[in-house]
Amino acid sequence: MSKRQDVIDLDEVVAKYRPVISFRVRKSLGSYNPDWEDVVNEILTQAVAKIKSGEFRGESSVGTFIYTITSRRIIDYIRQKTKVLKHIPEPSAFPDPHDSIEAQERSALIAGAIQKLKPKFKEVLYLYYYKEMSRDEVAKELGISPRRVSERVNYALKLIKKQVKK
Amino acid sequence: MSKCQYDQEIDNYLLDRMTESEKAKFEEHYFNCTACFEKVSERDTIVRVIKSREVLFAPGSAPQGAARSMGWLDRLSEAFSARKLAWAGAAALLLVAVLTLIPLLHRTSPEFVLNGEDTVRGGSITLISPVIDIASTPAFFEWQKIGDDIEYQVSIYKNTLLWKTTTKDNRITLPDEVRKTLTPGVNYSWRVKAFSAEGTLIAVSSRVQFKIKAD
Repeated sequence: MSKRQDVIDLDEVVAKYRPVISFRVRKSLGSYNPDWEDVVNEILTQAVAKIKSGEFRGESSVGTFIYTITSRRIIDYIRQKTKVLKHIPEPSAFPDPHDSIEAQERSALIAGAIQKLKPKFKEVLYLYYYKEMSRDEVAKELGISPRRVSERVNYALKLIKKQVKK
Repeated sequence: MSKCQYDQEIDNYLLDRMTESEKAKFEEHYFNCTACFEKVSERDTIVRVIKSREVLFAPGSAPQGAARSMGWLDRLSEAFSARKLAWAGAAALLLVAVLTLIPLLHRTSPEFVLNGEDTVRGGSITLISPVIDIASTPAFFEWQKIGDDIEYQVSIYKNTLLWKTTTKDNRITLPDEVRKTLTPGVNYSWRVKAFSAEGTLIAVSSRVQFKIKAD
């Protein structure tokens, strides 16, 4: 069921979609790049303008509408930067010094939780995420089934989340 | 779709194993599904922590499980922990140095933390003030000039942009209505971008955080 444009609450849309737009933009631009926040605001501004003007009439879902604007804006940004810099800007690696204090604290909590894990959980996380080995490769390395690898990874993540939420 | 398969999909996305069209489909989905987005975002945060801290995986507790897995952790420890611990030590020393300065401030003052990295672009801008020693809510913001005929764009943030202005000078005075909104105990940050006369971005400063000490 699509919303008619006069029923859409603009403040709600902005508040609801800012986190997901931010996530997507930071993923492409990299968090080192100080432009990401401006780009997010531009996307929201554009979306609001299109809703207000009636250009978006609810023919697709709001999420898809916002996603389309986001993708296009990111492509434009990269194209723009490629002209100035003569090469495609690299998305940032880790960690992120421009994170808010809250995000840095959260990261510290997660690190603490990982530290506390039993070696068998630490090792799957290391091989699977840090070394980016495939599930099958990890299975071979540890001498367990691929399915067991997935179970262990997911359980480790569950333990981390549980610890952080305390 | 079983839970296991779905988790695998998130991992493929986060570890960049999808084709462009698979990615687009996945992204469009999480733009439409809050529950899925939260899962993706949560896992992304954890994966980022894992990737940034190899030292986490040095053996701390007693060996368990197969001899093979101990071998992994042992090798890791040799390869990384000495160097990383040295860095951690240096960072800790720096932090101690900064913290010992704070008791020397007798009045309410914002704490400024330089977040280090200069940006990816060619030039960078040094922010002069406000930095660590400030007596009260900053009335003006100042930075190092980097050339002639430059237009500077100053942005001040809470979580999102609070206020932005441009100037050809290398300092700005905060208007009263903005000064009034700065609350003690809240995290703010600011940065400066420099544009040439033609409007090309030529340099960006680090984003410096500050917080006014609550009474």
